[in-house]
Amino acid sequence: MERAPVGFDQNSSGAAGDFPSLLRRKGLLGPAAIAPMPQAGAAQKIWEQTEATTILAFKFSGGVLVAGDRRATAGNTVVYDRADKVLEIDRHSIMAIAGVPATAWEMARVLEHSLQYFRRTQLQEMSVDGKVRALSKLLRDNFGFVMQGVGVVVPIFATYKGNSKPEARLYFYDAMGAQFEATDYAATGSGSPAVRGILYYENHWGAKPLHKLSENEAVSVALRALDTAAESDTATGGVDRSGKIYPLIKIVSREGITTLPESKIAAVFKETVA
Amino acid sequence: MIEEPYRWVEAIANRREYLEAQLAPGSPIAALGFRDGILFLTVGQTRQKIFEIYDRIAMGAIGHPGDIERLRMAAIELASTEGFTRSAADVSLRRLVHYSLSPVMKSAFEQINGPPYLARMLFAEVGRRPEEDLFLRVEYDGEIATNGATYAQARQDFAALSGTQQSRELMEQFLKDQHTPDSTFEAALNSALDAWSIGHMFLQAGETKKLPERAAVVQHRQEQLVNAGIEAAVLERDGSRAIRYRSLSDKELRALIRD
Repeated sequence: MERAPVGFDQNSSGAAGDFPSLLRRKGLLGPAAIAPMPQAGAAQKIWEQTEATTILAFKFSGGVLVAGDRRATAGNTVVYDRADKVLEIDRHSIMAIAGVPATAWEMARVLEHSLQYFRRTQLQEMSVDGKVRALSKLLRDNFGFVMQGVGVVVPIFATYKGNSKPEARLYFYDAMGAQFEATDYAATGSGSPAVRGILYYENHWGAKPLHKLSENEAVSVALRALDTAAESDTATGGVDRSGKIYPLIKIVSREGITTLPESKIAAVFKETVA
Repeated sequence: MIEEPYRWVEAIANRREYLEAQLAPGSPIAALGFRDGILFLTVGQTRQKIFEIYDRIAMGAIGHPGDIERLRMAAIELASTEGFTRSAADVSLRRLVHYSLSPVMKSAFEQINGPPYLARMLFAEVGRRPEEDLFLRVEYDGEIATNGATYAQARQDFAALSGTQQSRELMEQFLKDQHTPDSTFEAALNSALDAWSIGHMFLQAGETKKLPERAAVVQHRQEQLVNAGIEAAVLERDGSRAIRYRSLSDKELRALIRD
């Protein structure tokens, strides 16, 4: 006789442990909506979507530092000046986002739950490669939206796994989901050209290469890079000196993730940047 | 056949007898709320019996591995989708068990042409304070026992699960005497191990109501731990991390055993 209990899916062995497909089965995660193409002569741009901007990450002596400015913009309007673009996914992984926060935060939420769901159902941690690929799949699923000009997300993913070579791993993505592993540093978002310039310079001709920097030196480089980006890119918040709003900085190391307290960032800023 | 009410009652009784016999050898599991969290503990050699369900929820189970697996998977799915669509704070063990698992297990048990779930489960949800810890035991027929106060018993800060009623009641009797919710991890670990030993000594069905001598409990535990390993996990009370479940290794626990 059919058991068919409410809320149970008898066909799901759970062997895949794939959370997005569970959400789809329950109708909680739709496929990318395909909006009709705009008619000729119709207004091409009806609204300005909110976008988050510059993020950067690099490896230093204590792990990976991930930093993001706090500004979210829509066209030339500043929507928010305390946006959180550096998101914790699990105890050792950070996803930082540039692009549309509406999509990015949802993506981070799916990713976070996917990793937990995998661990709980399969009774083992997902591998680093599995995590990197999971984010890539989410980006690819979102590509329908990107083609319509909405919801583009370009994230950075940083993770740390002791006893593996290299221990700190850093990836950046394009909007279609291609993943690129960065050896030293990565930056995405509208202010990233300036940031990449600075990180390249520091890495090659700075006092020491990025991977040898101490924590304070690394924070200083990150603050200088974001401040430089903000100098020419209006969409990047940089450091708000009058409002005392500092970039968000997190560090992934063997021990897990640390969010640097604002007081510490302020101290480094005062000493080496301002 | 089952259209006749009498036959149905008889079939249910047979089924209950069969399930009890199947569950009887199940190694006991103790769950103790202590100062810094909830400790789940059992002793065994092979199959994992203690599992993480969600941020603040864990489960221990005895029974058929296939049935345990389906129920575990269902519980994780329900909690995860709830946590995703609403928030982790909306995932509640009470709702999970009362509204989802229990009705399903009851109907499977009573549809006598279909198979019942051969499983007995113990769930716990860690609270901010020991008084907020919730323990729920779910039987194969969907029956739920909680640690809350009723007319017959005071609130308990622990729960036990075992193959037989006698074994479980002796474990509960022991924990009622020995365990307090403000105890340290080390004290909770030793109480849990003793409770397990008592439960394991009295697994065979019987009418024993009296706890064994302390020396006999210690001896039994020592004998069992020669070959078997300790399986344990905690749900940490510390609210600074979202995910509270942490499994503990046999090695780190053995160092803390007192005789």
